[in-house]
Amino acid sequence: MSQALDDRSESIRMIRDSAGAVAPPGGETKRVRALRFVAPGFSRDVFAEMGALGWIGLAVAEDAGGAGLGLSEAVALTEEMGAGLAPEPLIPAMLSARLLAAADDKALLAPLLEGAQVVLTAWQEKADSIAVPGTGDAPRVFIPMAAGADAFVLPVREGNRIALVSLPAAGADVVLEKTMDGGSVGTLRADLARASRVADDIGAVLEQAIDEAALATAGHMLGLMEKAFELTLSYLKTRQQFGRIIGTFQALQHRAADLKIHIALTRAAVESAAAVLDSGASGAVRQAAVSKAKARAAESGLLVLRQCIQLHGGIGYTDEYDVGLYLRRGMVIANQYGSATLHRRRFMALAPEDVE
Amino acid sequence: MVTIAPKETQDLNQMEDEAFRAHVRSWIEANCPAELRNPPKRLHWEENKPWYFKLAEKGWLCPGWPRQFGGLGLAPAKQIIFTEEVERFGCARTNDHGIVMVGPLLINHGTPEQQLEFLPKILNGEHVWCQGYSEPNAGSDLAALRTEAVLDGDEYVVNGQKIWTTLASDANWCFLLVRTDKNAKKQEGISFLLVDMATPGITVKPIINLEYHDEFCEVFFDNVRVPAKNLVGTPNRGWDMAKALLSFERIYLGSPRLSAYAFTRLRQLAERMGVWEDAAFQDTYGRLRLDLEDLKSLYGTFVDKLRRGETLGADVSMLKVFQTELFQRVTDTMLEIAGENAGLLEPMEGNRNLNPTGLYIQARPATIYGGSNEIQRNILSKNVLGLPG
Repeated sequence: MSQALDDRSESIRMIRDSAGAVAPPGGETKRVRALRFVAPGFSRDVFAEMGALGWIGLAVAEDAGGAGLGLSEAVALTEEMGAGLAPEPLIPAMLSARLLAAADDKALLAPLLEGAQVVLTAWQEKADSIAVPGTGDAPRVFIPMAAGADAFVLPVREGNRIALVSLPAAGADVVLEKTMDGGSVGTLRADLARASRVADDIGAVLEQAIDEAALATAGHMLGLMEKAFELTLSYLKTRQQFGRIIGTFQALQHRAADLKIHIALTRAAVESAAAVLDSGASGAVRQAAVSKAKARAAESGLLVLRQCIQLHGGIGYTDEYDVGLYLRRGMVIANQYGSATLHRRRFMALAPEDVE
Repeated sequence: MVTIAPKETQDLNQMEDEAFRAHVRSWIEANCPAELRNPPKRLHWEENKPWYFKLAEKGWLCPGWPRQFGGLGLAPAKQIIFTEEVERFGCARTNDHGIVMVGPLLINHGTPEQQLEFLPKILNGEHVWCQGYSEPNAGSDLAALRTEAVLDGDEYVVNGQKIWTTLASDANWCFLLVRTDKNAKKQEGISFLLVDMATPGITVKPIINLEYHDEFCEVFFDNVRVPAKNLVGTPNRGWDMAKALLSFERIYLGSPRLSAYAFTRLRQLAERMGVWEDAAFQDTYGRLRLDLEDLKSLYGTFVDKLRRGETLGADVSMLKVFQTELFQRVTDTMLEIAGENAGLLEPMEGNRNLNPTGLYIQARPATIYGGSNEIQRNILSKNVLGLPG
């Protein structure tokens, strides 16, 4: 195999190892539980650590202050964050960093890359959409972890261009709603008179950056699936009923086998899409790869997570038992950056009929 | 040391991958007869042998065999390209048990005498092999097989019955799993025998299946005398050898080709039935399409392992389960949109490409053969997930 591929698997391995700093391999959930419904819903210290580890700028070019790695590393990292249930808004921060780097901004980018400032992109105008109309006076909705923002950046359409403006969070009109996993989403009604201009036109990278966030989110879902399934398997191997380990029952064995297939399909879809993006693909090929992965992750993700509850029986329905944490997070992220239906439709609209 | 000169004198491993692909593609395009591409059912030897002999003549019959034994000796990455190109043209499957099963068995476990006697006759098409594994009471539980071989002087005497023997009526040789030790644990008393189908005492009876096709047979053995030198490998170690041979089958059955082929026909049928633009159909079609694309991605991860020279683990069963069930879901959808054509015996309008019922019926055994999907799920739960027996 080529040196380049060896280097890539080595860098992915290093990223996965470093993830242990935030997401302990043992699956300890005490930290995550303690942050639920306590504003801002995540740890600013851990966010700063993510910055220090170079994660926020993982896919940002080195000359812009990033680590210059690719989507293969990014999905490995977000998978580990999913497995560790990290609530910090890493993916939204990566999205903002990507836009600010493209805008050649330094004032906001530097503290964001360090993890000292939480900069969130307020791009979305309606539910289940990945389009960015950039309507100046439209409320921006479903901003993840908006309770912890220091600043927002907003794409604003000006004729054929999409400008990027920034707005300090202090004094901004933000309405928060709690999410199922103990975090929040916000609706921002921006007073553009208070905003400062960051760039005249980021239209060229905006769609790509949102696609990258969608793929990273698919990676996060994969981590949730893997970890919840691991918990479920160990439960099947220890729980006894009718004088037998319940994992000896064929009905449960076969369901577990089916869930394993869904996880394997999701991993194949996510990792192959990341490879497509890293190979420099553009246009329809790039978008189709992202949609294929996100559709799979959203649909198979929720399937696996809810079956993990079912396979646990009553204990799986308690808040005290950890498996439910993965379903709750899964519900929050399944439709972020586009639902399974949205991405299936986009895939079908884009994909060349290349089946032979 | 056995040496059988390969017909292909060029070492194709020396070619660049893409040049090799183009070379294989153009040769298949020029040489695989049109009527032997995407046949509606498994073809008999009389029908498929023109393609077998084309490959034999070119020296490309056995891409995986070492060159020393008359094969192409292709490296794994090249074998994958070769298979992809064969699948691209939908080339008919030949009576290939000699190529994919007997050849590797003898190359790994045969004596030099066995290798010299049998391998050249596979390479020239003189021997057409069938596989005597399943029995009426040993299907999914293959190791329960009871057809017995008792040593009498320098011959084994074989009595028993095999079933689901693919294309046995075409074959002049059979590789047979027999019980040679009735007192051992069931997996430990099984041996491999090579049997000339012309031996007195063998009766072959075709079984008509749901396709109205006679692909499968019953084979009866009544005091059949087989030379003891036709036993392959160590007596009573046949089970391990048989299991090792199945690795080919497990990746082959997981290849997306059947699902992909049915999928192209689904679109043609939808257009013919006037439902192509229908929103409900488009939703179903989109789901199937993405399932197919993800199957291709997953298959790719296993192919990459082969390409790196790794052996596949039990997790390859995932491919067989998903592929065969996707194949069925595609054909289920075909039947659903076909209206009353869902009951027709022949392709619609005499058009081979509009054959929803043919594909629907063909898809049925996919989840049964090669280890039923229930058995595959048992394998996954025990050997991959580590769930208790």
